[in-house]
Amino acid sequence: MLELLFLVPVVPFASFLWLATAGSRTSRKAVAVVGVGSIAICTVISLLITWSYLASPPDGGAFTQVLWTWISVDGFTPQIAFYLDALSLIMMLVVSFVSFVIHLYSAEFMLEGEGYSRFFAYMNLFVASMITLLLANNLLLLYLGWEGVGLCSYLLIGFWYQDSANGRAAQKAFIVTRVGDTAFAIGLFLLFTHLGTLDIQALMQRAAQQWPVGSTLAIVASALLLGGAVGKSAQLPLQTWLPDAMAGPTPTSALIHAATMVTAGVYLIARTHVLFSLAPPTQFAVAVVGAATVLLAGCSALVQHDIKRILAYSTVSQIGYMFLALGVGAWTAAIFHFMTHAFFKALLFLVAGVVIQALHDEHDIFRMGGLRKDLPYAFWGFVIGGSALAGLPLITAGFYSKDLILWSAFSSTQGSTALWIAGLIGVLLTSLYIYRLIFLTFYGKKQIEVAHRPGWRIKIPIVTLSVLSLVGGFVNIPKALGNVPAFTDLLHSALPAVIERQASMITEGLSEGIAAIAFALGLGFAYLFFLHKRTLADILASNAIGRLIHRFWFADWGMDWLYDRLFIRPIIWFAQVDRNDFMDAFYAGVAGLNEFSWRALRETESGRLRWYAAGITAGTVVFLAIVLWT
Amino acid sequence: MNRTDAITLLPLIVVAGTSVLAMLATAVRRSHVFTLCMTLAGLAAAFGCAWPAGARAPRQVTALLIIDDYSLFYFRLLIAAVFAIAILTYDYLRKRDLHREELYILLLIATVGAMVLVASSHFASFFLGLETLSISLYAMIAYLRRPRPVEAGIKYLVLAAGSAAFLLFGMALVYADLGTMEFARMAQLLPGTPGDALLISGMVLIITGIGFKLAVVPFHLWTPDVYEGAPAPVSAFIATVSKGAMFALLLRYFYSAGALANRHIALIFTIIAIASMIAGNLLALLQNNVKRILAYSSIAHMGYLLVAFLVGGEFAVDAVTFYLVAYFVTTLGAFGVISVMSGGDGEPEQLEDYRGLFWRQPALAGVFTVMLLSLAGIPVTAGFIGKFYIVAAGASSARWALILILVISSVIGLFYYLRLVAAMYATPDKEPAAATMPAAFIGGAVLAALTCVLLWLGVYPNPVLRMIENVFPK
Repeated sequence: MLELLFLVPVVPFASFLWLATAGSRTSRKAVAVVGVGSIAICTVISLLITWSYLASPPDGGAFTQVLWTWISVDGFTPQIAFYLDALSLIMMLVVSFVSFVIHLYSAEFMLEGEGYSRFFAYMNLFVASMITLLLANNLLLLYLGWEGVGLCSYLLIGFWYQDSANGRAAQKAFIVTRVGDTAFAIGLFLLFTHLGTLDIQALMQRAAQQWPVGSTLAIVASALLLGGAVGKSAQLPLQTWLPDAMAGPTPTSALIHAATMVTAGVYLIARTHVLFSLAPPTQFAVAVVGAATVLLAGCSALVQHDIKRILAYSTVSQIGYMFLALGVGAWTAAIFHFMTHAFFKALLFLVAGVVIQALHDEHDIFRMGGLRKDLPYAFWGFVIGGSALAGLPLITAGFYSKDLILWSAFSSTQGSTALWIAGLIGVLLTSLYIYRLIFLTFYGKKQIEVAHRPGWRIKIPIVTLSVLSLVGGFVNIPKALGNVPAFTDLLHSALPAVIERQASMITEGLSEGIAAIAFALGLGFAYLFFLHKRTLADILASNAIGRLIHRFWFADWGMDWLYDRLFIRPIIWFAQVDRNDFMDAFYAGVAGLNEFSWRALRETESGRLRWYAAGITAGTVVFLAIVLWT
Repeated sequence: MNRTDAITLLPLIVVAGTSVLAMLATAVRRSHVFTLCMTLAGLAAAFGCAWPAGARAPRQVTALLIIDDYSLFYFRLLIAAVFAIAILTYDYLRKRDLHREELYILLLIATVGAMVLVASSHFASFFLGLETLSISLYAMIAYLRRPRPVEAGIKYLVLAAGSAAFLLFGMALVYADLGTMEFARMAQLLPGTPGDALLISGMVLIITGIGFKLAVVPFHLWTPDVYEGAPAPVSAFIATVSKGAMFALLLRYFYSAGALANRHIALIFTIIAIASMIAGNLLALLQNNVKRILAYSSIAHMGYLLVAFLVGGEFAVDAVTFYLVAYFVTTLGAFGVISVMSGGDGEPEQLEDYRGLFWRQPALAGVFTVMLLSLAGIPVTAGFIGKFYIVAAGASSARWALILILVISSVIGLFYYLRLVAAMYATPDKEPAAATMPAAFIGGAVLAALTCVLLWLGVYPNPVLRMIENVFPK
């Protein structure tokens, strides 16, 4: 059964090819059948593989399928090969399943407007690239998938290309992530020149053998990979592209910019965890980046008006939790949170799409309200997804995964109380901003009439993801609540366990209790400010300091402003000042030289036969002269 | 000549026999489709005959021909290329009102010449093959009997005859010095003889003859005129079959005879390679005639091939052979697009004819784009792998100067390939001058197949590489 592995990326890719070449001439129904069906097949194969993997695990918990070697020159032998272990298995399963429900949702959601087949072509290509990224056994193939998902992200953000603002958002996403990708590429060169391979497992082995813990090379290499991860996963300081990426269709935001692609950075770090373990300073940086992103993005989410932007900042913040977990060596906790996050964040985006579509493309939550009765699916989807996001104790998936991260942040030898507290404040912020969203949207006075109600292809994904957002956490129940660490145990064949500190005052149960209190506080504040007495919030925000903070947070801590002043304007200014420098002259000179040579050589092509014959004879005579007189 | 000899020669015999049959059939009754089918069947049969012949290889058949894995590999390559050209020819001729059947007969005879060249192990067969190929080509180039094609045909006739005279005189000089015309015998004698003037001069004259066929600088001047004047499928034949067969011979002759060990000969080839790479790419730079662009581009590609040829060693042989395969596929595809696009009374030659092609015929524009990118050596196409191996072969023996020139001239080359690609995707501002016909199914199928092979070679080159490695056992 494991031999079917190659089909997982191949099926969506084949479907992409078909949609790209013949899609525009096919009926929408056929497009939907192919576009959604291919992902369904892909999901079924993933399930079969998972079943087979669990029933009879391969030797060493890993299965490698080598399809072929692309080129082979002097030790550089990039293979087209897939590597399946517990880590890539879980990622593959979650990605294909979530992709499937979102594709099903899109079949109805995208029905209006043009570009139906184009949309599914891009989405299928995205799934193929993402699975390639996850299953790649070498970093070159992984990089191919990495760039592939980046391309699809670009194409889908700018999907409605007639509006130039969407095009700009797409460019921003592409360029900002490019900064990270460049670092990643340099990291690849560095690893290859020093360790002589790009095969991930061999690379990790050689790194562990040749580089001592804390060696400069390990730190530099892992820092470069971190650069790539930070760009793709929208973490500080490269997070600015993600909120703008919401310009794309909502299913795209759900799939690419929430559930799957943006967690590629998390996957990359988990995949190369050996390297990060060899570089404690980098790993600490991962934790700090994560904690800082949790807080900053949480605050930004608190003051946004646009429903999708709130969710975007929330995504940034939640991926921050995953980075925090990676940074303290809680690799499995990061992947656990990736999984639950994929469920509830995809759900939140899908129901947000329902709300937006129902209200004639209205994004501002202050112009919504009272939708509870009219859109029950959206309402319950938001309640379940939002509670999972905020970590409603015991009954939601988010609670289990987030508490594992919080506890690890405290208990790991690489953790600290400060990181733990940052995480707890994050819980409070999360609960505050998501219930603010829910209260403003679904309670209070109705402002716009509902114009559009979802059909079955939208309801099924919402119900499915709601169920998973609730029960998805039960695969890993902490010690204090029954101790069923199935998920962690499975992953331990691929990722090491957390090394816990000895003896401390705070126990796991206590940490969970405090997190529950933080959650309740957030919920309480949200109720107080946005449901009970709206005026309270206005009072807070209307004084000078409040206004300043509001503006500051609303603009994501002024990061865009800062980058504009720090990079964009100086570069534009310099380019204008430096318009006539010698480099231009150099290139113009090269071009001129080529053109001159062309003109000169063209004269030899006179079209006259006698001249051609003379050319042949002269050439022979010169060659004869060379051989006879040298 | 006994039965085993006959079986080993079967591919050659079948192609020759098909040409005779086609000639007889045409004399009785003209039928375009029938002639095409007969040609294709004959080629397919010849292709199949390579297996029984392969079971008896290697075998020296008379002093003239050697049928070994090397010959058979090139037989297959040539036959496959001619197969595609024959279909493109059909698509090209069916829109024209003239006697069509004779072109297939000429095509088959020319193919026999090319196959003899590939299998030759003797000066006599070398010259016979060359002339069989050339004489058919004169008629093929001028086939449309209009001023331009006839002019091209006459130019080719005069120059080919002249360079054949050089070649023949060179052979005479070598024979006068060594007393043999067999390549294998020469290989034994060459190391013992000090490079005296007679022998070296003879070799230089032979290089002239070969250089003319390959169209390398300074023997290249005829190329654009002939490519431009000849019908597109014939240009494809000249660019692939004619040149490929000659290169195969060059590889065999200079390797088996060990002539490259002579530093003068190596120097001359170095000069030719460098000059071809630079001049070929520069000449195409701002050219507006697409067929001329492809002609200049082929000059540059022969220069790249010579780089690997100069490196020597087994790795280089593999690199040259793979590059030739990639070049065959790509060039056939590029000329195939021109051929499929041409209407009843002209070919779309000017860059302007391609402006906005994507908006009119997206599939055709897509195929042409892939072909051009492969010529430029962009990854995921066969051209990239080919060029990669040539650079790797050069780097393995530290020929940095050659590699540097290859890289720089490739960059220059990128300009005119992309210029053409950009034109295809630009929004058209006026109706094209030459009317383009929708591609017929059969022509389109050839193009689709070539595109698939091209991408397949670029992504999954292993099977072909392994096949080539088996042809040249390490």
